[in-house]
Amino acid sequence: MTPAVSYPLNKVLTAVARQHAMKPALTDEDLVGHTLSDAERAALKTGDIDALYRLGANPYLIRRVFRARFKI
Amino acid sequence: MAEIVAAALTSHAPLITGKPDIARPEQRERLYAGFHELGRRLAAARPELIVMFVNDHLQNFPYSNLPAFCIGLADEYDAPSAGGGTFMRIPPRKLRGDRDVALALLEAGLEAGFDFAYSYEIESWDELSVPLHFLTPNGDVPIVPVYTNCAAPPLPRLRRCHEMGAFVGAFLRGNARVRRVALVASGGISHWVGTPETGRINPEWDQRVLDHIARADIEPLLKLTHAEIERDGGNGGQEIRNWVALLGAVPGWKGEPLAYEPVAEWITGCATVWVHP
Repeated sequence: MTPAVSYPLNKVLTAVARQHAMKPALTDEDLVGHTLSDAERAALKTGDIDALYRLGANPYLIRRVFRARFKI
Repeated sequence: MAEIVAAALTSHAPLITGKPDIARPEQRERLYAGFHELGRRLAAARPELIVMFVNDHLQNFPYSNLPAFCIGLADEYDAPSAGGGTFMRIPPRKLRGDRDVALALLEAGLEAGFDFAYSYEIESWDELSVPLHFLTPNGDVPIVPVYTNCAAPPLPRLRRCHEMGAFVGAFLRGNARVRRVALVASGGISHWVGTPETGRINPEWDQRVLDHIARADIEPLLKLTHAEIERDGGNGGQEIRNWVALLGAVPGWKGEPLAYEPVAEWITGCATVWVHP
């Protein structure tokens, strides 16, 4: 079964990943122009990698952008 | 007509080159030795072209445009780009493509019912950069990459990947543009990347995959479902689609594992496999 996918989340993360940027959390500036739910916005701004996964962010993008949040 | 003169399967992970120092030295050296031996055998086979079965990691194909299979038509490939190179600690370089062969493959595929997408610009991440860093350090052999979606489900079935690879193999053997072609597939084996289980590796599943390949007993791999691979091999394990595609191009060929190391620090079950008649 196809896992849940949030296109808005992945769109934001793709934009950051393509700059080869790794961040502990995204800022309001990173989110300008993106339509996100409150939960998605909060997860991005706190770098909550587990919440991002549950909300439908692609794990490769989570890893790429929020690398510093992973223990390994 | 072309001859397939070499075939190899490897893992890819940015940390293999990006953070060599964090791995246990004995594991790192055994894996590096496997890569170097593949490189030695590949050079000895004197290929004029390398067809690469690889996958993107949403670097080139985002959720707005996600092909199941895509052929690279670029004149050259960033492998890696300056940005990617910093992370992978590989000097940026361009690798030549072979548009004549790639375009002929694309056209033949469409004619035969393999509806490949195509791309004139691809920035490779570790899928090309890491294995070719070891296999073609001089970057003197042109490449044609065939991308399969292994990272953003829903994904093509493994059997379809195998059929696609079989088509590519048959096309190459009937192609008069080059005489000596090598095949390289990168990805896998088990790894969990970016999920809550990040860092998990499943050596038992990896060994099962390697054993099937060593015996040329591919059918059980073709029956694996997305869910089974996700459970036993993780989201990174889905990349064995690239290996299965290559094996489709060389029916009956067997794998000789040169190295297998479940490198916890690189969060990947890492292997290098020589494939031969």
